[in-house]
Amino acid sequence: MTEPVRINPDDDILVRIRGLTTVLGGKTIFDALDMDIPRGSVTSIMGPSGTGKTTLLKHITGQMRGDAGTVQVNGQNVAGLSREQLYKLREGIGYLFQNSALLTDFDVFENVAFPLRQHTSLPEPLIRNLVLMKLQAVGLRGAAPLMPNELSGGMARRVALARAIVFDPQLILYDEPFVGLDPVALNQVMKLIRTLNQTLGITSVVVSHELAAVQQIADHVMLLSNGKVVAQGDPKTIADDGSPWTRQFFGGEADGPIPFRYPAGDYAAELGFAGAGK
Amino acid sequence: MSQLTPQRNNVVIESLTQIGNCGLFLLTLLAAIPRSARYVRETIRQLWFVGAMSLTIIMVCGLFVGMVLMLQLYHVLSIFGGTSASGMVVALSVYRELGPVVTALLFAGRAGTAVTAEIGLMRATDQISAMEMMAVDPIAYVGTPRFLAGLIAMPLLCCVFCAMAIFGGHLVGVTWLGIDNGTFWSNMTAQVDVRTDIINGVLLKSLAFGAVVALIAVFQGFTTPPTSEGVAYATTRTVVASSIAILALDFVLTAFLM
Repeated sequence: MTEPVRINPDDDILVRIRGLTTVLGGKTIFDALDMDIPRGSVTSIMGPSGTGKTTLLKHITGQMRGDAGTVQVNGQNVAGLSREQLYKLREGIGYLFQNSALLTDFDVFENVAFPLRQHTSLPEPLIRNLVLMKLQAVGLRGAAPLMPNELSGGMARRVALARAIVFDPQLILYDEPFVGLDPVALNQVMKLIRTLNQTLGITSVVVSHELAAVQQIADHVMLLSNGKVVAQGDPKTIADDGSPWTRQFFGGEADGPIPFRYPAGDYAAELGFAGAGK
Repeated sequence: MSQLTPQRNNVVIESLTQIGNCGLFLLTLLAAIPRSARYVRETIRQLWFVGAMSLTIIMVCGLFVGMVLMLQLYHVLSIFGGTSASGMVVALSVYRELGPVVTALLFAGRAGTAVTAEIGLMRATDQISAMEMMAVDPIAYVGTPRFLAGLIAMPLLCCVFCAMAIFGGHLVGVTWLGIDNGTFWSNMTAQVDVRTDIINGVLLKSLAFGAVVALIAVFQGFTTPPTSEGVAYATTRTVVASSIAILALDFVLTAFLM
């Protein structure tokens, strides 16, 4: 029998990561990473491409397991959960995929209704109303009968967002939610993330590169590089904290502690210049 | 004694690992049957997709196989004056071997590849991950319904194939070549045994082939690298592996059932 999910509302930390070490294909993604995500906050995780931001979300949801260390969500060690317990935990987590990941067999309405149909036995009129409310929130109520291949990238992302919030989860993980959105949609999505956080107390983790957007919605920013949190703090001031990581990342410089170039041999020697490397 | 080179050794080990993994995947699919009981509608939808949508190719191919078989047999048997046995020989060939084997090969090419490509693309576009994140077991929702649909569809398609082949044989033998209609049917009904030819030949073999093709198709879909190149290779592997497995299994089943 599946044990009930242990809820510990007194704990201020919803996601607690300690000593997480992950090596993929010989490359160290996380090097004894420690991270706390406060309950009821909007936390943004930033960092250069390939630094493991999406991988971190996969660890939080139990899609991947680290080589060492622990990831606790709501006081539960994710790696130690059985399949049933993990699925029970995921019912309380919304996840917005980088590429939307809409089910191509279903139209927009059925995509948003999918989690409700799978996990509840709500009457059809109630499901219909819930789905239309979520679609209205992302501005796509009129697109309910469209198929995913009829949507633009930005519309698909908003549908995926409606699906992620349809269960009113306690934790929502947004993987690059602002990519491909026009200014109007971007503003509305930012407002929605903030409203969900303020009105329902939903904890949000936003993986993004958009500093301007993050500054408007996040309570806390963490900069991830070389498998560790190299800087963290208030989104308004983190860019000016003076550390070499934040200076390079927010300044967009190629040289600095954050590696821009993939490790390679001697450039001149590879180009075949005589006497190179002597 | 010849020794295997390291490269060949690796291929052998890789192939055996794949077969082992496929066996373990079968256990996973079977274990998920109780969980997939709530997805009956999805199983029926897949049954339509792999079964009903394959009907045209199965019917047309069955018709031509029966026609060409009768044509060949008539000319050979006419040498010995045994053309009256043509209908019976066509029926026995179709029931015991051609029906299940050709249906399975066509099924692998039509439905098996489609299932592999669909699941592979679902993985490539994160739809499988999305289901996992929505606490929906993809094996129970995607894998098992497709496996069960293949298992149910194959015997039904094989029956249709056999019926069309007999019809094709009748068309050529009776209508075109002038074999007596009564002789055609009476020889056939006298020699065809329900247990040996229909149950063992048509139903049991096609059930086994259906399980093998559906298993390989679903397995390849779930294990292919989630890239366009990976999906392309996986569909090819489905056809190649299914064809070899069907013919090898046919020999084993024939040896045991005869």
